[in-house]
Amino acid sequence: MQINYLKLAAAVGVFSSLLASSAGADTLRMAYSAAPSTVDPFKSSASPTASLNEHIYEALVSRTDQPLLATSYEWQDNTTLLFHLREGVTFHNGAAFTAQDVVYSACRMMYRVDGKKNMLTSAMSPVTDVKVIDDHTVAFTTLKAYPVLPEKLKSLSILSASQADFTVPLQYDNTGDCGITRYPTRAQFESGEMANGTGKYTLESFANTGDADLVRNPNHWSDGGNWDRVEIRSVKNSGARMAGLLAGDFNLVENPTMEDLESLKDDAAYSSTSTPSWRTIFLILDVGSEQAPGVTAADGSNPLADLRVRKALSLAVNREAIVERLMGGMATVASQFSPSYREGADPTMPDLTYDPEQAKALLAEAGYATGIKMELNVPNDRYINGTRVAQAIAQYFTRVGIEVSLKAEPWSVFKKGRKNRDFGVFMYGWGHPQGAAQMISYAFASRNKDLNLGVSNYSNYHNADFDAAMEKWAVETDKQASHGYLQAAMQVAVDELPGIPLYYQHSIWAHDSNLTVVGRPDERTFADMVSPK
Amino acid sequence: MLIYIAKRMWQSLILAFIMSLIVFMGMFVVGDPVEMLADEDFTEQDKIDLAIELGLDKPLYEQYFTFAGNILQGDFGVSYVHNRPVLELIIERLPATLEIALLAMFIGLSIGIPMGIYSGIKSSSKPSRLISFLTTVGYSIPNFWQALLLILVFAVFLKWLPASGRGDTNPLFGIEWSLLSIDGLRHMALPAINLAIYKICMQTRLAKSGTQEVLYQEYMTFARAKGISKQRIIRRHLLRNILIPIVTITGLEVGGLIAFSTVTETVFAWPGIGKLLLDSIHMVDRPVVVAYLILITLMFVFINFVVDVLYAILDPRIRYQK
Repeated sequence: MQINYLKLAAAVGVFSSLLASSAGADTLRMAYSAAPSTVDPFKSSASPTASLNEHIYEALVSRTDQPLLATSYEWQDNTTLLFHLREGVTFHNGAAFTAQDVVYSACRMMYRVDGKKNMLTSAMSPVTDVKVIDDHTVAFTTLKAYPVLPEKLKSLSILSASQADFTVPLQYDNTGDCGITRYPTRAQFESGEMANGTGKYTLESFANTGDADLVRNPNHWSDGGNWDRVEIRSVKNSGARMAGLLAGDFNLVENPTMEDLESLKDDAAYSSTSTPSWRTIFLILDVGSEQAPGVTAADGSNPLADLRVRKALSLAVNREAIVERLMGGMATVASQFSPSYREGADPTMPDLTYDPEQAKALLAEAGYATGIKMELNVPNDRYINGTRVAQAIAQYFTRVGIEVSLKAEPWSVFKKGRKNRDFGVFMYGWGHPQGAAQMISYAFASRNKDLNLGVSNYSNYHNADFDAAMEKWAVETDKQASHGYLQAAMQVAVDELPGIPLYYQHSIWAHDSNLTVVGRPDERTFADMVSPK
Repeated sequence: MLIYIAKRMWQSLILAFIMSLIVFMGMFVVGDPVEMLADEDFTEQDKIDLAIELGLDKPLYEQYFTFAGNILQGDFGVSYVHNRPVLELIIERLPATLEIALLAMFIGLSIGIPMGIYSGIKSSSKPSRLISFLTTVGYSIPNFWQALLLILVFAVFLKWLPASGRGDTNPLFGIEWSLLSIDGLRHMALPAINLAIYKICMQTRLAKSGTQEVLYQEYMTFARAKGISKQRIIRRHLLRNILIPIVTITGLEVGGLIAFSTVTETVFAWPGIGKLLLDSIHMVDRPVVVAYLILITLMFVFINFVVDVLYAILDPRIRYQK
């Protein structure tokens, strides 16, 4: 039920540009598309909450591998990761930042607030110890080789040990007990009293509706903090969010719709920024089951088990057209399952071609020239233009002789269906926050509990070469070698197509045209992405 | 009257119980909270742990009994998403909804009733025809579309009023009210008008048809024949007699405004309970949805009860003996 009131706006567009209000240069007002739920940094990993918290707290290393509170890190041996910490950093409350704060933060992450596990603790599960080496060196020890730890630790926001009561020195354990007698309460976080990080902004107020006001931290270790004041609001309805921008309530809004952007082009007061994100949109095919749910062939077999059929499906889709026509150029054609521009991925991976004639020939060769019926499942409120893309794909498949019925459902319903393995073919997007290998190691590897591989293998895909490469990747702490294994596995996945890569999604912001926005690939919206022109 | 009240209360308890069953089962079918909360990199074990923590590993009937038992002790559960007691969440959001609903109802009544009586008395006059035309239009335009038009005109073109949010609030009785600050009132204006338009149209029509019916009753002719002034006839004889349907509808509508202003609250990002309900449904935050709907059921029962009492006051012929 998307109403494009902007088309009306365009009719009298002259007025709106004449009346465009200029915002106070020192205050940035942003509208998120979903509300942050808390300022406790470990309670939720959802993007809006993480975006807000990043203004207040910093991790050791940023999501884009920039040094934050750690100036460098290295693997001392296979199971010991050393972080060298930045000196001269202070928390918002004035306390100096030392190695002990890192131990405390790890403890706080593992601590059960009100008896409930923090959502982010799975990142820490193989960690057995966090030790202070000296004031500015800290060591993480793991039970066994755990090379993705530096990636996982990007979600460990650093809090100040000064907010808890304990007897020095802290002794890390995975229950978060650590010898701490009192942790700050949730209410203290939410009132802002304990929202005490090292970030570029300090929290002035937070409401349970997700509204947050922030002010610049003048003592930040960098000269960062582009804005004296930042106001974060959230407006879920995309039309209303855009109206807020046009009405001058906001300077920047997240995730405008393609239609709204189209009308925005005529208005000099506003512009938009689109940044390639880490999210890949792809189809998952159930290739391993006797019968893929919702997919049938005339002879009763699972057609997706045949590599020729999968190749035909990939050949049938015109990715260029989807990106250019449906996404207005604000997406990048995919040639593999993680963005080619993501560190570790092979940037030279050749494009997946579009050739419906060859697709038909392959289907005929496999004996499926006709008779394949397929249900294509897609969440209708999750990905930019997701349903329309799925409609286009359904049409492409129909053109090569496959009978497709499209089933678009809300995210909550869709996720349940996916979990119950009700889907033979579904569209999905993966943000790869923990590196280029994350998605394929979860989605296409055989289940290996020890190495945590294949957790979401909805393709029921098993390939010895692929598994071998992933198993080596999972224990390799040397970056170059690990990239090599990843690329070998990716090559197998692209050759064998247990899924079909479609495109890499972009993050889009609409904003006042007097702002410069340098977007981030991790789909977060941070005040310092934005600066006055 | 006492027996009547007792009976009403008993009925409402049964109603709340049935409602809780329906909602609980309904929410069980839609979505899986663990899937919604879990990170993409959760292992099976992480998900099982989470399910145990939320009590979702138990069979449905057991979950229901735990839930119902807790409610009887006044504990409506803890939100999965916000990790806070549901009742606390709802109560915190309630004032925002209450003030906007009551303001909208006030606008609706104070414009709708006089307009309806006028067009009922002078039903063939030009202004009266204009009024029926406008009310038809107001009725037929969908609520969310009106909201977007209001935003377009008053926020985007004229830039008189803000398009979203609640603005500054001031405290009264320890609760924050937008009604008490200029900025808050500016923020309230558009959502309140949006909610009021439909109410104005409805009250106008109710008052009009009531007036037309009452106008030709014998006691009206008699009153006129007695030479009572026009003002007095309207106030004492007409208004009082058309009020019964208006009170009924107003009661239900106030309930509806409080419970289901979800569209308006969503479009204007008004942080009331309607928005809370919608967000919670999206996130499969079962405790919030179930508790919310049960409380709403109780509220409707209460409103209906108040309406019944008002009947008795308005029309002495109505008695509740049985």
